[in-house]
Amino acid sequence: MEKSYKLLLFIFLICGYVSYAQEPVNPISATDSTKKDTLNYYDMTIEQLLSLKAHGVPSELEKLINSLISVASKKPLNVRESPSIVTLVTAEEIKNSGARDLIDVLRLVPGVDFGVDVQGVVGIGMRGNWAHEGKVLVLLDGQEMNEILYATTQFGNHFPIDQIKRIEVIRGPGSAIYGGYAEYGVINIITKQGGDINGVAISGIYGQTEKDYMRRNINLSAGKKLGDFEWSVSGMIGQGQRSTQTYTDIHGNSYNMDGYSALNPAFANIGASYKGLSFRAIGDFYRTTTQDGYDAIYPKAYAQNFNSTYFELKYLWKVGKKLTITPKLNYKNQSPWKTPQGDSIDPSYLKTASRSTANITASYNPTRNINVVFGSEYYKDVAIDHLANDTFYNGKQRVSFYNYAFFAQGLLKTRFVNIIIGARYDKHNVYGDAFVPRVGLTKKYNRFHFKALYSNSFRAPAIENIDYSGANGIHPEKTQVEEIEFGYQITHNSIFTVNLFDITTKNPIIYYTVGAGTDAYTNQGSTGTMGLEAEYKIKAKWGYITVNYSYYTAAGKTKSAAYRVSQDSSMLLGFASQKVNLNASINITDNISINPSGSFYGPRWGYNSVDTSGYAQLQKFKPVYLFNLFLKYNTPVNGLSIGIGVYDLFNQQFMFIQPYAQPGSLTNLPHAPLPGPPREFIFRLSYNLNFKAKPAN
Amino acid sequence: MIALKKISFGGKLLVLFLFLNGISAKCVAQDVDYKAYTLFVYNFMKYVEWPEAQSKGDFVVCIFGESPVQKELTGLASSKKLKGRNIIIKSISKPEDATGCQLLYVSSSKSGNIKALKEQMAGKPILIVGEREGLAKKGAELSFVTLEDDGLKFDINKKEIEQHQLKISSQLIALGILVN
Repeated sequence: MEKSYKLLLFIFLICGYVSYAQEPVNPISATDSTKKDTLNYYDMTIEQLLSLKAHGVPSELEKLINSLISVASKKPLNVRESPSIVTLVTAEEIKNSGARDLIDVLRLVPGVDFGVDVQGVVGIGMRGNWAHEGKVLVLLDGQEMNEILYATTQFGNHFPIDQIKRIEVIRGPGSAIYGGYAEYGVINIITKQGGDINGVAISGIYGQTEKDYMRRNINLSAGKKLGDFEWSVSGMIGQGQRSTQTYTDIHGNSYNMDGYSALNPAFANIGASYKGLSFRAIGDFYRTTTQDGYDAIYPKAYAQNFNSTYFELKYLWKVGKKLTITPKLNYKNQSPWKTPQGDSIDPSYLKTASRSTANITASYNPTRNINVVFGSEYYKDVAIDHLANDTFYNGKQRVSFYNYAFFAQGLLKTRFVNIIIGARYDKHNVYGDAFVPRVGLTKKYNRFHFKALYSNSFRAPAIENIDYSGANGIHPEKTQVEEIEFGYQITHNSIFTVNLFDITTKNPIIYYTVGAGTDAYTNQGSTGTMGLEAEYKIKAKWGYITVNYSYYTAAGKTKSAAYRVSQDSSMLLGFASQKVNLNASINITDNISINPSGSFYGPRWGYNSVDTSGYAQLQKFKPVYLFNLFLKYNTPVNGLSIGIGVYDLFNQQFMFIQPYAQPGSLTNLPHAPLPGPPREFIFRLSYNLNFKAKPAN
Repeated sequence: MIALKKISFGGKLLVLFLFLNGISAKCVAQDVDYKAYTLFVYNFMKYVEWPEAQSKGDFVVCIFGESPVQKELTGLASSKKLKGRNIIIKSISKPEDATGCQLLYVSSSKSGNIKALKEQMAGKPILIVGEREGLAKKGAELSFVTLEDDGLKFDINKKEIEQHQLKISSQLIALGILVN
């Protein structure tokens, strides 16, 4: 059998070289072209020189890896030289995969995973670390989606993925630019603007399990660019469920989630810009129901809503050719975790919080190879408790805080290496200050690139962390991260990258309960992971295949019992230490593509039951193999495409495990694993009217 | 399938990697496209005006130092003419040999000589083109730049061009980046 394995390897290698030898020569880019080709090439007009690239006519992959992003540096840099470990997800990839929501999209990013918090809410993890409460910043068109009471972002049939143009994911720290919610990562979602939409677009998805429907969402967008004026209006409304399976709490009590785990989104996004002036307004009304509670299920399901509105006014003032100054005003108002007061056992929570932010950022380019960004930010938070007889820690129904920050960053590009040095200083009127410097070296040498990054980052305590902090107070948790990435472009169409990371968090903010179950937060112990992520990507005219692998180990870093797995010191609660993702799209014809994707999880640990004394019991969960298949057809009707597919083809019934706990507590017992969607058949339809004369994706 | 079960997880990943590499190995990855550089040089010849005395006879391009661009320029010279003039490609190893050249292409390996070249060629009707970024600020009249998105452009030192008795067309200026 070993022989056949070696034979297989030999055949694959031969395959590679044979296909290399048979590659047809591109008449434009080839150096051995015929005389006729040469004549054509040198007959290009002077205007056509604008499209020439230093490394020849770019392949589909090269267009992607040479595209510019600014999420990691403010100044646009190509993906391979951006001073962070970055994944770029395109609208094409989202549409081809048939992804149902942001969980499906982000799950395919190395190091990203999801777990359950409480009350049916699913949050994000990064590189083995639970990051739900204020450790990963989610930006949508520049607006911070994290709610400011607990700093969480809720996932599952929430955000309008059909309207996304691209997602830039920083899989490492971003605090030196973005502040206290970007300790472990940044997810920067950029939606389609007027020029991208250039008309009207409508799309919908319907998902069905063997028991019931899983989702039915509709998206509508309109937009146009008219000279210097650009506008767009988009919206999404729908109904969905977390699962149609049965949830069993840690005490063994169950309820059927079908019909009692609603995830109903309503989202509106309006943008307008004229020259440098831009305005944006977003309304996000995520209506859910929950019956799972904390450790024990509730007798009935309760409505639980997350309502947010965002406003931004920004002006990009170009002061000469070298200096740009951008003043920006933001206001957001949120009422997350909103559960109305009803009976004596309901989980009543009715608080609103608003943040008003003023930011001014300057970007100065004394030469083409030097960029300096600096600025300052001030925000004021106000929170109000609307429940009668309920107050904040100050004994009042209103609290307010303020924070100011200064940041600066220098980028020097040389022939040998690009050097980036930056830092941010935040000072909060209650919990004190945080200073987070970072240094990065990056460079691309033809096919090879590397990144060496050292960053400090922090998590800013949210309003409720302060509220429940007790006598010792609460402080920002601080993290130190070292990362190194190597990449090699093997062919025009393929690239391999691998990165190593080492994350150490000191004094993480831990949730626990005291007495008969009073909520509390404190800084305690340490945590962190180290590991690697590797990705191989092929992209050509026939489609693409991306395979990535991620691995972490707790490596003895975790001294906070909240995240530790007592039986395996290399792992943290909730997240598999090994994960492989596949994302592919194969064009069968010009108009039909078949799109397999999947995530293959190693074993995970989580609390699932209690022992006879009432203490929570750890359990090792078996590996999970999620496999999805989506068929997309661009119909002969211009702009109309339809797709059918199945998610979780093998009905593995993924469970979201809670990645934190308070072991040894009899009052604060963990939430049992929350069932996700079982096998789901989906149907998608999208229609674009008056679009630009380009083939639909 | 039984055989695959016996292969370790790492082994399976290796097989997958080699398979994907096999199906993708269609052409070598992006190296510098000197054909694009050559096309730019050809347009420099077309859109820069030399004094009357240098506008007759063969157009001589000298390449100072070794560069893959020589092969491409030689290919160009064998298939194209410049306004009816033959294009001659000459490789030179000493700056003094540049006498009689209309265009001097300074390879990356010889970019350290740019200040000496500037002094030696001062006032002469010769277009010095630097292969390496930044040379237009140090004495070359034009030099190549690779932008962040891999776009190929060139810097223009208009002052140097005028000192060398040359005239650059507005079309070419619109395409490049002025450094002074």
